[in-house]
Amino acid sequence: MRILVVDDSKAMRMIVERTLRLAGYDEHEIVHAANGVQAIEVIGVEPPDLVLCDWNMPEMSGLDLLNALRGAGWHVPFGFVTSEAAPQMREQALAAGAMFLIAKPFTVQDFQDALDPVLA
Amino acid sequence: MTYIPSADDLEVITREVWTSFLDGDPGGLLPGGDGVGAERVTGCVHLSGAYTGSIVLQCSAPAARDAAAALFSMQPGDVTSTEIIDAIGELANMVGGNVKSMLPGPSTLSLPAVVHGQLAVPGAQVVREVTLVWRNEPLVVSLWQQAAQAA
Repeated sequence: MRILVVDDSKAMRMIVERTLRLAGYDEHEIVHAANGVQAIEVIGVEPPDLVLCDWNMPEMSGLDLLNALRGAGWHVPFGFVTSEAAPQMREQALAAGAMFLIAKPFTVQDFQDALDPVLA
Repeated sequence: MTYIPSADDLEVITREVWTSFLDGDPGGLLPGGDGVGAERVTGCVHLSGAYTGSIVLQCSAPAARDAAAALFSMQPGDVTSTEIIDAIGELANMVGGNVKSMLPGPSTLSLPAVVHGQLAVPGAQVVREVTLVWRNEPLVVSLWQQAAQAA
């Protein structure tokens, strides 16, 4: 399986990848993108099985990316990994078609709880 | 009555971020210290909306270097300004996002800005601040509010 990690912070992309490995998803291919525009390019070349995406990014936000994907008929499983986790953000994420929202800072257990139902 | 996160709230949030991604040890970040000197790195995110202001993270240059090294899994001596800006920006973003969730909404969180040195927040004043020590280096987290709202 292929997991696309989208975050404008390279440090956070590395932390997300490390957490995925620690959570037991070490056999999955993990690819990176620094914003929504790059993510669309990556998805267009080879669609991932899951997108883990930051919310607040330059060029194209995570929510704009999700809306663009759904608008184009892409139904790849999509989850947010973001520092903003207020109830209204969660509601907005789920209404747009996200499967989950993981709040930063997160734990390995947070990843397993959110991803196991998707990747199992 | 609008709740404004306390200095203790700022410390708890900062400790959670540091424990999760930098130390794994809740005791690694200690209260106190004399504040940050001139050789500092400052990360800032701005809030606009029901609450307008900023969350500012300031730390000494060695603390910024060590934080970047920890986040990037690098040796401190190999860290460049690029990693420091990325790391302090993301730390400010995480602290800011969690502080935002305690403030009245709706409001919008900006992308982080990072500078080597001090950052001014025009027209705003500090309403909460916590001074901490990490690896014997100073770290200050402050919540600012636009003067018109604070009045």
